[in-house]
Amino acid sequence: MMTFSLWDIVRNLLIGGALTLLLSLVAFALGGATGLLVLFARIGKWRAPRALAQMHIELFQGTPLLLQLFTLFFGLSLFGLDVPAWLAAGLGLTLFTSAFLAEIWRGCVEAVPRGQWEASACLAMTYWEQMRHVILPQAMRLSIAPTVGFAVQVVKGTAVTSIIGFAELTKTGSMIANATFQPFLVYSLVALGYFILCYPLSRYAQALERSFHAAR
Amino acid sequence: MAYHFDFTFVPDYAGMLAQGVAYTLGLTVVGGTLGILIGIGGAVSRTWNVRPFGPLYGYYVELFRNTPFLVQLFLIFFGLPSLGIKLAEWQAAILAMVLNLGAYSTEIIRAGLQATPRGQVEAADSLAFTRWQVFLHVMLRPALRKVWPALSSQVVITMLGSSVCSQISAEELTFVANFIQSRNFRAFETYFLTTAMYFGLALLVRQAMHAIGRHLIVRRPSR
Amino acid sequence: MPLVSTNRLHKFFGTNHVLRGIKLDVEEGEVVTIVGRSGSGKSTLLRTLNGLESIDDGVIEVDGATLEVDRADASALRNLRQKVGMVFQQFNLFPHLSAGQNVMLAPQVVKRTPKKEAEEIARRMLERVGLAEKFDAFPDQLSGGQQQRVAIARALAMSPRVLLCDEITSALDPELVNEVLGVVRQLAGEGMTLIMVTHEMRFAREVSDKLVFMHEGKIHESGHPQAMFAKPATAEFASFIGSLN
Repeated sequence: MMTFSLWDIVRNLLIGGALTLLLSLVAFALGGATGLLVLFARIGKWRAPRALAQMHIELFQGTPLLLQLFTLFFGLSLFGLDVPAWLAAGLGLTLFTSAFLAEIWRGCVEAVPRGQWEASACLAMTYWEQMRHVILPQAMRLSIAPTVGFAVQVVKGTAVTSIIGFAELTKTGSMIANATFQPFLVYSLVALGYFILCYPLSRYAQALERSFHAAR
Repeated sequence: MAYHFDFTFVPDYAGMLAQGVAYTLGLTVVGGTLGILIGIGGAVSRTWNVRPFGPLYGYYVELFRNTPFLVQLFLIFFGLPSLGIKLAEWQAAILAMVLNLGAYSTEIIRAGLQATPRGQVEAADSLAFTRWQVFLHVMLRPALRKVWPALSSQVVITMLGSSVCSQISAEELTFVANFIQSRNFRAFETYFLTTAMYFGLALLVRQAMHAIGRHLIVRRPSR
Repeated sequence: MPLVSTNRLHKFFGTNHVLRGIKLDVEEGEVVTIVGRSGSGKSTLLRTLNGLESIDDGVIEVDGATLEVDRADASALRNLRQKVGMVFQQFNLFPHLSAGQNVMLAPQVVKRTPKKEAEEIARRMLERVGLAEKFDAFPDQLSGGQQQRVAIARALAMSPRVLLCDEITSALDPELVNEVLGVVRQLAGEGMTLIMVTHEMRFAREVSDKLVFMHEGKIHESGHPQAMFAKPATAEFASFIGSLN
């Protein structure tokens, strides 16, 4: 049997951790961009896009991420596509993230007082001018804390992609735990890895929230 | 190429699926109840900084909210045996859910407690309520009422998250789905159907929480 | 020809018939004050004049721009709103912009005025309301009275033909009311066309050319304020002014 030193374990986990970080960043960036589209569809005036956006949000918020990944993975292969794990993971998390961010941001847009819409309408601004110059700048300020807070959920969500075989931190941990017969040590280190990624984000989100309320 | 969708397997596995649903609901009910109770304990200890629980709860909340549920589950099921604690799949699943939800509900309920106006406590004190009555009727009930929607959402999230318990072979709904698709080779249809079932379960749990909220929390204390 | 005219104006909120056939003409340079009890439809009438409330029947005309029930398309509305400025009870300044930027925004965005020119306009408008030195202040650094004056400057920057004032002193502390009324009085003196809803009856009597008393969604009585106060023509208006003291 091969023996692992602590450094061997940590080194491998670091590689997995890097992939977790990468997947989180990609999912957050693409999910944010998609979420923006969903947001505009959701709060826009056209009925069909609004209904579609709402369906998107409810579907991805109302079902398990794991099942979303499975369905996507096997759904895409129906089209004869051989879907690699990283692609299904990235795509699944992107859609998942977009639904949650769109809903968070919608709350922020709706939190902008009605008077702001009216005042800018009276100045003869069009819908998009109102959005761009009056509503979104204010909504953006409201959204920073909950958006950073949700980033924590994205990082933790990446762990689920281990189940469809993406070799991120948790998957790497499982493999090492099986090889070393030291599951407690290995999974503790895995948990530590996530904690190192998530805790600063959580604290930052809390600090933003506090400073925002203090500023009011 | 047109793919032919085939859901004819459903009747054969209806019984299994129902068992999976029951298992998932069981996890949710037990996990939800105990998790919220832990949350109440945590929120109270944190709000009044009851030693040593207050600070301990602080570490617990941060640890569980900043690590994935799946890793918590693995640590409990695969890791704890090295410390001599061996749990069955269902025990590990429930423990993980309780601890996870407990951490979140601690923070949710704490926010509710902090929002209780000082004047109400003083008003109750002046009416010669006992401290326990003040706590229950003037602090806890209004706090729970205020955060019940957030708490309900968290219970739904925990229920949906329980699908990863299939990974330690707890025989909940996703585990059943994995089993079925390994038999019928209809992975897409199986998972699609299961996803829809979870969607229904989420609505059900939300409704149930709403009903519980109405009866347990909103009702005025009886005379 | 009147600058602002409405005819057969009807408005429903659900089954509630709030405006029941309003005919109102406002000449250029006229100061018109609309009064009435709450629920009489006075604010709603004001808000229909720039399309903040849609109408269910009738027609609104402002300086050649028309708004009809079925043809309230975006460009007609935009055209109308460039001629009609509005000031609100709650100021509704943009909190993320300085006072100067609040005033500059619409000229830049809507009229495509170059930045330098917009800034000049803004400085001039702020000076007009006595706040030249507050150009860089943010709304939360200003008193209520100052915020309301910035809001007036913001509306003026679009050079509207008529200014609507919707209870613009109702949210102010009593000691701040006069600085805002002072600005309005000055505008009236400069010949600005004003349509106001207000509870400041003494002020209304003093500056208005025409008083409009609304009752149950209709213009119940209107005329010169001095004459109306001296000799109310209807029992409802008499009871209304009776309830003021």
